[in-house]
Amino acid sequence: MATPEFIVALQGSELASFIRGETPGGEWAFPILETVHVMALGVVYGSIAMVDLRLLGITSRDVRLSKLANEILPWTWTGFLIAALSGSLMFISMGNTYWNNLEARLKFLCMALAGVNMAIYQFGIHRRVSEWDMHLPPPLAARAAGALSVTLWTGVVLLGRWIGFSI
Amino acid sequence: MFRSAAEQIANSHLSSTLQDALWVVPLSQSMHILALSVLFASVLMISLRLLDVGAMSRSVSQLAGTLLPWIWRALLVSLLTGLLQGLIEPVRQFITPIFWFKMLLVALLALLTLWFSRALSANGPAWDAKATRPAAARLFAVVSIIGWSTVIVFGRFIAYVWADYL
Repeated sequence: MATPEFIVALQGSELASFIRGETPGGEWAFPILETVHVMALGVVYGSIAMVDLRLLGITSRDVRLSKLANEILPWTWTGFLIAALSGSLMFISMGNTYWNNLEARLKFLCMALAGVNMAIYQFGIHRRVSEWDMHLPPPLAARAAGALSVTLWTGVVLLGRWIGFSI
Repeated sequence: MFRSAAEQIANSHLSSTLQDALWVVPLSQSMHILALSVLFASVLMISLRLLDVGAMSRSVSQLAGTLLPWIWRALLVSLLTGLLQGLIEPVRQFITPIFWFKMLLVALLALLTLWFSRALSANGPAWDAKATRPAAARLFAVVSIIGWSTVIVFGRFIAYVWADYL
């Protein structure tokens, strides 16, 4: 699959060159972006795992699921936004390489699947959450969504780390 | 001193066997990141609850009762995977001062968390009953957030600073 035009163009930009550390003052740009990315993904993974384990009926069993989700998910989204932003900046610095990298592709696939899983849950069984959110164990569809989510996000973290070893 | 010890470890049979297995380091690092995620998110949530900023649907003792065991498990996994990485890449890890600063900070934060856990067992219901938490608990929350964030920064920077010492 040929690298899209705009990715090639972005890689040639001054910003990309700065992130690669080629211009004065940019030497630490990439490590700083990585650090921000790790902290943000920590918030994403840690918080989504809390919701997923509740969906599975393993932890926080004394809390109503809808209450827990409403409380935690804004943090997940905030973390995701920061991770996506720092990740995009790292991506454009070597867009051509990442675009053609197998691990990076699988990582984006896992993220897309996690999104689909979330949408199916949200527009499916979650619409009647007030009927079952103190049931233990939660309904099968909810447990399946939780198990899939924590598995896919674990895959995202693993593949993300693997990118660094494969390029 | 650190350098010769590190080189000795690097030349050991166990270390060189593990160095040859190419998937061990990325897998161990991935598990390290997963564990630090669980730890960091749990620390953030308990801290924000202590400061009455977030996670308000549960009392401090309810929330910490759920999350503290996860903090200890995550810390254990981080230490084990970190130890494995140290065994495989001892020169990279042990000769940079930043690694030892990180370890010192982790030890201090673990002790602080232990203190918090004990204080909570003794005073949990009393804390829950009040509108705000005691100043010491709120200070613990702020120190935890800053401290663990610094640990993550140091951890990532080991990868960049070590080359200066070769």
